[in-house]
Amino acid sequence: MEREFERKLDALDEIFVFIDDFISANDLKDDVAFSIRLAVEELFTNLVRHNYGGRDHISLELTRDSRQLIVKLSDFDVEPFDITKATPVDVRQSLMDRKIGGLGIHLVRSVVDKLTYEYSDRTLCVTAIKKVEEKDV
Amino acid sequence: MFDVSRGENDKVLLSGRLDASQVEKLKGVLDTVTRSCTLDFNELEYISSAGLGVLLATQKRLSDSGHRLKLVNLNKHIRNIFAVAGFDFIFEIE
Repeated sequence: MEREFERKLDALDEIFVFIDDFISANDLKDDVAFSIRLAVEELFTNLVRHNYGGRDHISLELTRDSRQLIVKLSDFDVEPFDITKATPVDVRQSLMDRKIGGLGIHLVRSVVDKLTYEYSDRTLCVTAIKKVEEKDV
Repeated sequence: MFDVSRGENDKVLLSGRLDASQVEKLKGVLDTVTRSCTLDFNELEYISSAGLGVLLATQKRLSDSGHRLKLVNLNKHIRNIFAVAGFDFIFEIE
């Protein structure tokens, strides 16, 4: 399944409907569904916030094969920006030392098995892969 | 759809899906909280880093005056996200 969404946070409603259709079509269980929703939201909002000046739309592709789910977001006509190289978060810091923000990619890494970044011809692609087992469907 | 309202004993009730497009609703309510307060997650299905950021900012502000948020009835997915974020050390979770 692939579709383009407007580069704005208000597109998240439509994105979640799109994800829910994918989850239903693939009979995915709650745990996996939560992970896919979180990964897509965090990656999409990162692109919206950091890649100003790109095209009006960002492409989201969700695919599944027998072993894995693949989330791929493509942002066109943008400068390179490797969102997978976000500064690591020290989650053991005290309340006073914790900074607001910067948790998104940390959370994505916790719910997927692989996160990759590619940049070519002014197109940025970020791909998250989550392995699926029999218990997940 | 996300909703936030006040319940009995000034408890704050959260419901639905708290994503980045909805956090201003939560911020609008939590900005009015000036004392220790309980947030009931019973009807909350989903949260992302945007919602965590609002909770963290509120906890920091309240702690300056010796107050804090208490979070109750988190579902297993949200509880897991809190653990991954290290928020189980920062918030009282029941």
